[in-house]
Amino acid sequence: MSGSWQRTRAAAWRVLAHPGALISVAYLAVTICVSLTAQWLLPIDPLYQDLASTLEPPGATYWFGTDELGRDILARVIYGARTSLLTAGGAVVIAAAIGVPIGLIAGYFGGWRDTILMRIVDVLLALPGILFAMALIAVLGRSQAAALVAVGITGIPSFARITRAQVLSLRQRDFVLAVEALGGTAAYNMFRTVLPNAWSPILVQVVILSSVAILLEAALAFLGVGIPPPTPSWGEMLRTGKSYLYEAPTYAILPGLALTLTILSLDTLGRTLATVLEDRREVVEDEAQ
Amino acid sequence: MADGGGADPPVLRVRNLSVTFTGSGRDVPAVRGIDFDVRAGEVLGIVGESGSGKSVTALAATGLLPPTARLSGSIRMGAVEVTTADAETLRTMRGRDVGMIFQDPTTTLNPVLPIGRQVIEGQVAHGLVPADQAMSRAAGLLREVDIPDPEARIAQYPHQFSGGMRQRAVIAMAMAGSKRLIIADEPTTALDVTVQAQVLAVLAKRQAQTGAAVILITHDLGVVAETADRVAVMYGGRIVETGEVADIFRHPRHPYTVGLLHSLPRLDIVAERLVPIPGQPPAPARLPSGCAFHPRCPIGRARDICRQDDPRLRELADRQTAPGHAAACHFPDEVQALLAQVAPKAAATAAPPAPDQAVPLLEVEGLHVHFPIRTGLLRRQTGTVRAVDGVSLVVRAGETLGLVGESGCGKTTTGRAIMGLVRATAGSVRFAGEEVTTMAPPALRRARRNMQYIFQDPYASLNPIKTVGDIVAEPLRIHKLFDGMGGMKRVAELFELVGLSATMLGRYPAEFSGGQKQRIGIARALALSPRLLILDEPVAALDVSIQAQVVNLLQDLQKELGLAYLFIAHDLSVVRHICDRVAVMYLGRIVEQSDKATLYATPTHPYTQSLLSAVPVPDPSRRGPGGKGGADRIVLEGDIPSPARPPTGCTFHPRCFRAEPRCAIESPIFRDFPGLPTQVACHFAGPRAMAPT
Amino acid sequence: MTSYILRRLAQLVPVLFLASIGIWAMVYAVPGSPVGAIVGENATPEQIADTIQRLGLDRPFYEQYWSWLSGAVLGDLGESIQSREPVLDLILTRVPATIQLGLAAILVGLVLGVPVAVVSALVPGSLIDRMLSGWSALALGVPTFWLGILLILLFGVQLHWLPSVSTYIPFFEDPVGALENLLLPALTLGTYVSGIFARFLRASLLGELKADYVRTARSKGLRERDVVGRHVMRNALLPFVTIVGLMLAAFVGGTVVTEAVFTYPGIGRLLIQAIGVRDYPLIQGCILFVLVIYVLMNVLVDVLYAYIDPRIEYR
Repeated sequence: MSGSWQRTRAAAWRVLAHPGALISVAYLAVTICVSLTAQWLLPIDPLYQDLASTLEPPGATYWFGTDELGRDILARVIYGARTSLLTAGGAVVIAAAIGVPIGLIAGYFGGWRDTILMRIVDVLLALPGILFAMALIAVLGRSQAAALVAVGITGIPSFARITRAQVLSLRQRDFVLAVEALGGTAAYNMFRTVLPNAWSPILVQVVILSSVAILLEAALAFLGVGIPPPTPSWGEMLRTGKSYLYEAPTYAILPGLALTLTILSLDTLGRTLATVLEDRREVVEDEAQ
Repeated sequence: MADGGGADPPVLRVRNLSVTFTGSGRDVPAVRGIDFDVRAGEVLGIVGESGSGKSVTALAATGLLPPTARLSGSIRMGAVEVTTADAETLRTMRGRDVGMIFQDPTTTLNPVLPIGRQVIEGQVAHGLVPADQAMSRAAGLLREVDIPDPEARIAQYPHQFSGGMRQRAVIAMAMAGSKRLIIADEPTTALDVTVQAQVLAVLAKRQAQTGAAVILITHDLGVVAETADRVAVMYGGRIVETGEVADIFRHPRHPYTVGLLHSLPRLDIVAERLVPIPGQPPAPARLPSGCAFHPRCPIGRARDICRQDDPRLRELADRQTAPGHAAACHFPDEVQALLAQVAPKAAATAAPPAPDQAVPLLEVEGLHVHFPIRTGLLRRQTGTVRAVDGVSLVVRAGETLGLVGESGCGKTTTGRAIMGLVRATAGSVRFAGEEVTTMAPPALRRARRNMQYIFQDPYASLNPIKTVGDIVAEPLRIHKLFDGMGGMKRVAELFELVGLSATMLGRYPAEFSGGQKQRIGIARALALSPRLLILDEPVAALDVSIQAQVVNLLQDLQKELGLAYLFIAHDLSVVRHICDRVAVMYLGRIVEQSDKATLYATPTHPYTQSLLSAVPVPDPSRRGPGGKGGADRIVLEGDIPSPARPPTGCTFHPRCFRAEPRCAIESPIFRDFPGLPTQVACHFAGPRAMAPT
Repeated sequence: MTSYILRRLAQLVPVLFLASIGIWAMVYAVPGSPVGAIVGENATPEQIADTIQRLGLDRPFYEQYWSWLSGAVLGDLGESIQSREPVLDLILTRVPATIQLGLAAILVGLVLGVPVAVVSALVPGSLIDRMLSGWSALALGVPTFWLGILLILLFGVQLHWLPSVSTYIPFFEDPVGALENLLLPALTLGTYVSGIFARFLRASLLGELKADYVRTARSKGLRERDVVGRHVMRNALLPFVTIVGLMLAAFVGGTVVTEAVFTYPGIGRLLIQAIGVRDYPLIQGCILFVLVIYVLMNVLVDVLYAYIDPRIEYR
């Protein structure tokens, strides 16, 4: 629908009007583009070992220095971004694809469907995410797929809860009842009326959960249970870098900086988005008065 | 009353006050140069619709406006100049001299603090009550406002109080100590009419005891007529007319005041048709030039002077009006002529003969809707809310049945159960002879084509992310009739039918005013050419001047399309205006039902009688001689019980002035009252004069 | 109140029951069998048979679960494969260290976070508010493990003020030594906690400051600090306590990570070591123990909520 496209574009412009959000979007755009195209466009190799120059400080040849095996830290940071983004992106897709329908069904129908679905979610939530992921990886063994699934599953409850809360409040709104009174089926009402009105908190949650997923993936790698080496990963680099604090302090600083900036950018973007979408609702209501 | 005087200096003196909000980037004028005084012992009513600046005026007088407000002019409260005083002076003034009562008693009290502490803490903070006496004084204050068992009540929290008791506690709080000025901002708007009567009585009693000046801000002309000594009518941030209350109602000299009085359905006069004010009240950010009222004014609409020059508030010099009566109009003399021209014609003939012989369209019998209360881990059912507890009614083709009651009486649930939006626990709903309650979902969806629902809140009933054209087309699309019924051409027709231009089809609901949104809701309901509309408080959320427009539209549509209406409302005046027959509900049951004329002239159930007597009538001359509030008013005691724990026997007996021991045991049968076309459920039913008192 | 707490505790039973099945079953979901992981690749058939018998893997699964559960309820979490010591003993020796770290971090969080929240809520949109909000975004956004590394680099490696590796010294035995070892981990975890306080308490306060009862309180002529202190704060704690409940998981996770950064001998580090050597009974024990602590903290949060909010009936 052209109208909703216009609204989306207007909301996007209002987000970018905030300087913090603009910087965040720019940083994220550069990170995504560079890390996803690096294997074709950049003459760097994160796995090449220059054993003659290990633990080099940053310099002309190796801008970020080298690690204990003489690998280029800059290359590993860039490829680490790729690992991080792909894992987090995949995890968020898993979490949303399972969590949103659970919340939608539980919130719309209520009753026994709600009770059963939300009890399952509660049990999932009963274990702190990181412990759940560690336990799962302890069972499945370390692999990229295990990390992806573990991080994804921990995100299901928040999507389910946020969607359900939103649907519950919409369910009581007159315009949803109105469609029911007009003779619309439950499916029509759920997908044509409720869901289109619920997307804004879900979108905010996608952004915020991306930052949580990146953090969780890095934490798992830092604890030595994430994606196994030699795949470059920020958490793994911090874990190794911590052993060479005296010899090469930048080894542990630079990957952490990249990680922190990514998390902060997503957090800033998510919060700006939340304010803008909330504001829009307030503006609309003000104008109606 | 001190209204005639002028010897004492006024408690509050406001001169040339302007308030502008600067927060949103541009300046929004909320109040534009107003003057008024309030004296001790007097009640000044400030009347206006939303956006008129009446609440901003009240907040300005106490220095409680947000920092984004810019004030000019003078507000003098005793020795304090409010516009320039420092925060500490204002704080002392608020604590010692001014009390405020706000609209919604559910939110004005702090939910996590005990009532007693909240009632007295202002006094304690200002050293007027020693801390060790605080609780006994708080109990005393609650007793003054007729709260039973105040010693136990002071330790309770707001959620343990009913709405009416909360508002009485707020009055106790506002009038604690020796306040000189009380500002009550819509103090009864959130309350039911029988509870409103209690609260107004308490307010009047406390005022008589303390001699405070009162500013009563309201949109309800009935409340003003009943309680105020003087009135100021606000429009577009200015006072457009002011004077003694009787004079304003009898000889209004501003076209807006005239419009307000005539757009109001009244309990005491049956008008054939309301005379609405066209258009809608202006938003403060988009005020018209010149006189803010000129675009809606029958006198000034086409005149250059009204378009360009904003008239000053001038004392009138005509012979009819009393001294002190002022109006801000360039042509106050023409208003008199206007008055004669638009005065509502009393219905010449009695209401059209009730269509008794017409076929019943909707027959509801023994309808029950019970909601289980589940608590605890295992969700065991521990109780039942008997929202609808045996309702039977009939709506015939082409007629309007009014279903009246206070909040929580089950009227909305009844409407929704008839639509099948809420599942009926027991009973039958037949539409055109077909049983609806047992229908399978597809059949029910088809049946809904003939039965449509209009919601109370036009802001909430339209999907904010669809264009209004799509919203009106939605029922056609759902039933796959869009092309069959003419597509967008049909939608355009519907828009014109409800008085909107088809050029607006591509806009979103947020771009429309409340009255327009309600029209869109009506257009959507009419899309499938239904035969019955269930209207759930369709005008309750609208401003007075807009209400009349929608009421007239509903009446025209009924005539044109032969619709039947089930009109659910709490406002007895609107119901009297629009309905053919009326059913009164109390706690899930219909207690009395009759044709309109009989019900309003000769109510036989004590609840109907007290309900009718509690409605404030916008006519100051009908005030009782002794005090305010009408001489023959029945003020019901107590609050409406919860439908989760209805009283035994007749559910009305704890509040009933005719109750006898039998009423607590035996539930009365709903049956014909001899000699009247009335059915009533009361052991001691009878007209008021006959009532044993 | 007591019965409310008991009822709330009773509600844990199904959650803990389901979780215990999950924890018990995780060993059996290991590809191949746990036996392979335990005895290693070069084991003799006798070793394998011996392990199977010792773990009771030849019995029906419900019997295995039942004996594991009944043992766990009575405090018998089995024996560590690595050290052959009872799992419970291993855990209990680490508990005081983790509790000391957690309490210190909460203290740091309160001291750094609450004033920030109150100050920025009172002047929303101002320069101070924006600076403090930026600070809370940093506190929440900077990963705990990276912040820990930075602190070690600065105070341990560069300045040599504090040890780079923290050991557990009970505070009441040697306050100075305890502080030296606790300061960096507590600051690391406490920064995160302060971010929670600063951001979410500010949001709750701002929301409550718009409420009608605040206007009522001001209309009574109360001092602004009484309006905030007596009226707003208690209401603001309600949504905030809910958030704290949701953030508990992150706090528990943060504790595990912090212990790893500083090689601090708490339960988190024990769990990581156990995972490293696939010591399944110890993994199960640690996770079960942390889970119990976590759900108990959740109960505490609920009880706190009910205590603050008179509308919750705890009959």
